[in-house]
Amino acid sequence: MKMTHKRARAVAGWVLLAALAAPQSGAQAAPPAPASAKTGETLVEYHDDLGRLVRLRAAPQRIVSLAPSLTETVFALELGERLAGVTDYCDYPPEAQTRARVGGPINPNLEQIVSLHPDVVLATRVLNRADTVEALDRLGIPVYTTDPRTVEDVVASTRRLGEVLGAKSNGESLAAAMDRRLVDLAHRLAGRAPRRVFFVVWLDPIISTGQHTFLADALRRAGAESVVTAGQDWPQINIEEVLRQNPDFLVFAGAHQDDPQGTISSLRKRPGWSSLDAVREGHFAVVSDALDRPAPRMLDAIEDLARQLHPDAFAPRKTPQSGTVPRSGRL
Amino acid sequence: MRMLTGRRILIVCAALAGVLLLVVILSLKFGTRSISLYDLAALLFQAATGHSEQISSDFRLIILDIRWPRILLAMIVGASLSVAGASFQALLRNPLADPYVLGVSSGAALGSILSLIWAAQLPGATPFGAFIGALAATAAVYFLGQRGGELDSYTLLLGGIIAASFLSALIMFLMTTISGRELRGMAFWLMGDLSTPTPVNAGWLFLVLVLAVGAIYTTAADLNLLLGGEQEAMHLGVNVVRVKLVVFLAASVLTGLAVSVSGAIGYVGLMVPHLVRLLFGSDYRLLIPATALGGAIAVVSADTLARTLVSPTQLPVGAMTALVGAPVFIFLLRRSRT
Repeated sequence: MKMTHKRARAVAGWVLLAALAAPQSGAQAAPPAPASAKTGETLVEYHDDLGRLVRLRAAPQRIVSLAPSLTETVFALELGERLAGVTDYCDYPPEAQTRARVGGPINPNLEQIVSLHPDVVLATRVLNRADTVEALDRLGIPVYTTDPRTVEDVVASTRRLGEVLGAKSNGESLAAAMDRRLVDLAHRLAGRAPRRVFFVVWLDPIISTGQHTFLADALRRAGAESVVTAGQDWPQINIEEVLRQNPDFLVFAGAHQDDPQGTISSLRKRPGWSSLDAVREGHFAVVSDALDRPAPRMLDAIEDLARQLHPDAFAPRKTPQSGTVPRSGRL
Repeated sequence: MRMLTGRRILIVCAALAGVLLLVVILSLKFGTRSISLYDLAALLFQAATGHSEQISSDFRLIILDIRWPRILLAMIVGASLSVAGASFQALLRNPLADPYVLGVSSGAALGSILSLIWAAQLPGATPFGAFIGALAATAAVYFLGQRGGELDSYTLLLGGIIAASFLSALIMFLMTTISGRELRGMAFWLMGDLSTPTPVNAGWLFLVLVLAVGAIYTTAADLNLLLGGEQEAMHLGVNVVRVKLVVFLAASVLTGLAVSVSGAIGYVGLMVPHLVRLLFGSDYRLLIPATALGGAIAVVSADTLARTLVSPTQLPVGAMTALVGAPVFIFLLRRSRT
């Protein structure tokens, strides 16, 4: 395949992990409780998305992020300066790569995290392991775990992180801006039939996304409807099923270092794929992998995808709102 | 071949214990932050005399709460896997036998996963499930390997390979159809991991290790005779059935113990007994204690490399055991032939 080895590993890891993640009850937000003062420092208490009680100092100055989406969110909240450590996979914004590395999200280096003296460690339920959270807990390091399951959850989670990290107004205004963009997008797409799409997570074997994932919700927001209705998060799909569904569009979310064009041109020569209407007519949509990152930047990707799938909805009225350059939907 | 005396056993074991101590000290010293030997000694002394609050809290956390539990676990896992491997090799008179080839590890892994599905809340459910799984797999393989009322080495080995692939398929099925928070961690654990030791009581693990290795050691002289063939051993007065049962049971316990705390760390059960044999001969009275120490040395070294080589990123310890073990093994094998 044309995808790089690194990407292959990342995708394989993601799929393996995500495939095993179960939907649980939605995000829980509890009001901050005034906490007992310990060693002369005021601590505040929050319930994280897993319902765990997290006790940390108000406005934590040293933050360690255990997921790319959280790193992006912290930067979007304009708290990038306080980010002391990030994972090996935290590639956005570029400045994130100047921070101390703590290893991969699945097995971060506990020694390194301790050495960074974090006031709080941020984790996600989907990408990090419960073992890691428990181990940090035993070492006396507060861990705040997020668990957004929908685009709406991401907005709420962003607002909440702003509050937990002591930047409540930043969180409020960022979340409000995200809400506005979502409302505007919904307005533009109102009355348009969603495109029937097949989202390609991986080609060998063919893996798509189930209907309960964050990604499936992001697709819905972009005016797309996945033809895959599996309950599993990252189902392996038979090519016969893809042909039977005959989707309007194939959607790829690739990192910039990948070669989606090469992948697409190879599809034209593949038995099965080559007889798909979407392949014959060149109905491909390629968006940034931010589409699959539950962080504020996903809105750029959602809008980008909506433009590619429904170009007429964006026709003359306005200039693009975000900094994203829309890529051509037709190849 | 030299005569095996009690003195020789003591000397070899003392030497290996010395190497182990050295490896443990180096493992305590090196990591994302290295500590000077002097500071390390001071820290250990203060911790031992109960004055740990004097130590800088950073190093106390890193050395005593992160590195030491991990090293302890690595030693126990290494010793367990190696002795289990040596035992299976003697029983089957087959150098390829080890807990993985025989499907015992897969049984232990399946047992752990089932225990997490059915009884995740119970403390100690995982090690117990792993032990039951290892025992069940051993029993199944044992009966698969019977031919004409006798244990046939090749049939048993084949049975083991079949059991291993069948059990792996079951694990794959469970992991793709059943979702759950615990199972997600499982996927990683299956690859063999010591990076996040779960809080198990190392004292209990050590006790089980000593009891199981002790049980196998009581059969050491019989195992030597078994190497010459079952009929011959029987004629020499060995209770073959009893020896086999004791060793199979104890080796299952060891495998279950290792897999339940560290997942699937390969190569150790195969590699360490062979290395020890090449270095010190194949008398089981020496081989068993030397293999236990050698296994501890191997896994502590491998895990230290795994967490320091590309620090702060950590490699799976299973990859290190294979990466380091294979070339050393080939080198020694070729040297011993010339």
